[in-house]
Amino acid sequence: MNRRRLLTTVAGVGLTGGSAWVLTRSGPSEDQFPMTVETVDARGSAAGQTRLPVAETVTVVDLFATWCTPCTEQLETMAPLVETYGPDVAFVSVTNERLGGTFQRSDLRAWWRSHEGNWTVGLDPESDVMAAIGASGLPHIAVFDRTGHVTFAHSGVADEETLREQIREALDES
Amino acid sequence: MDRRQYLRTMAAGGLFAGASGCLSRGGGNANVTLAEPDREYESSTLPYLAWGQRVPDVSIPAPLEDRSLSPRSLSVPSFITFFYSTCPDVCPALVGTLRNVQTHAANNGYSDAVAFLPITFDPENDDATRLREYARTLHVDVDAGNWHFLRPATPERAKIVVRDEFGVMFSRQTPTQTPDGNQTAANRTSTHDGHAHGHSHGDGHAGVEFVHSSVTMLVNADGYVERAYRTKTPDSEQLIADLDTLR
Repeated sequence: MNRRRLLTTVAGVGLTGGSAWVLTRSGPSEDQFPMTVETVDARGSAAGQTRLPVAETVTVVDLFATWCTPCTEQLETMAPLVETYGPDVAFVSVTNERLGGTFQRSDLRAWWRSHEGNWTVGLDPESDVMAAIGASGLPHIAVFDRTGHVTFAHSGVADEETLREQIREALDES
Repeated sequence: MDRRQYLRTMAAGGLFAGASGCLSRGGGNANVTLAEPDREYESSTLPYLAWGQRVPDVSIPAPLEDRSLSPRSLSVPSFITFFYSTCPDVCPALVGTLRNVQTHAANNGYSDAVAFLPITFDPENDDATRLREYARTLHVDVDAGNWHFLRPATPERAKIVVRDEFGVMFSRQTPTQTPDGNQTAANRTSTHDGHAHGHSHGDGHAGVEFVHSSVTMLVNADGYVERAYRTKTPDSEQLIADLDTLR
């Protein structure tokens, strides 16, 4: 066993512990909000900016990337909730993929349409939202109540019923 | 916790846990431009190549370009990371971060001043066709002239290059079997645990999973590591800022 391999073996023990530590310490930093993100002209979404969380509104923030297969599942679970709560709750999906090169605004727009997106979609090219929410993976979803407090945060696909319940609670609490 | 602090915390979480190396700050190294990172150990105590160490002069095939490249032979700063294409979450985040830097370079007119070398440790699956498809999924511009997927010729060669030369740990796992004999389904939660990834792709490579560490390196034009980012979620802005000091 050469030196590098020995060290690799030793380090391997530490890796899992290190990650667990990360996960236990990551989480939303409410003091980083509100933030402003650029929004995209896409189905259900207008070009411009949005405040996150939307002022005095229960807000669901979904972090996604177009390469992330489970993220498309998350969109599917959100769609019926947008139908139900559309007027009372703000839904914003945000990607940290930087536009340019082989991924232009039109590509995002087409992807969004093909995955049944029908609500606000925003850009987070410097991963500010991702960092503020404390996401260590994608998808990642957070629910804010009307006062801007994070009442629910979930890493991975959150199922429709859970989200529905969390939205209802956030509406009740506010 | 502010954003930078958060990112530092994220990075720290991936550090060599349990390391009790001595403090070594402010030491000079004529081979690198960036100052030694603030850390409680020396590069020599890390399993992977880190600040001030030179990348190996090994020739690795670049299957999309019909040639081989040595990570030491580039005349511009480069980012190197290690991945396998059927990895469902961590690797896309690593490669996707480099893609975001590549796009920043294109948008800001410095595409010729940087190179990207993602090295697969799954050469059995990651052939040219697969890598091209992967690039499309991640919106990588493989025709920009600065993106070089590298693929060691064989799994054994991958071990030598990635594990022994770069010190980046990876290990192929035996697929997990359920009592009814099926392989476990995809890790649909996609939390970036950065380790074992169970998945099923139906592409002839179903069930293959690797335990691996997540390392991205910034290497200067002379082949010396300026930064080793030991994190599953590299901060593309930090990478851009560090690169900016080198070009």
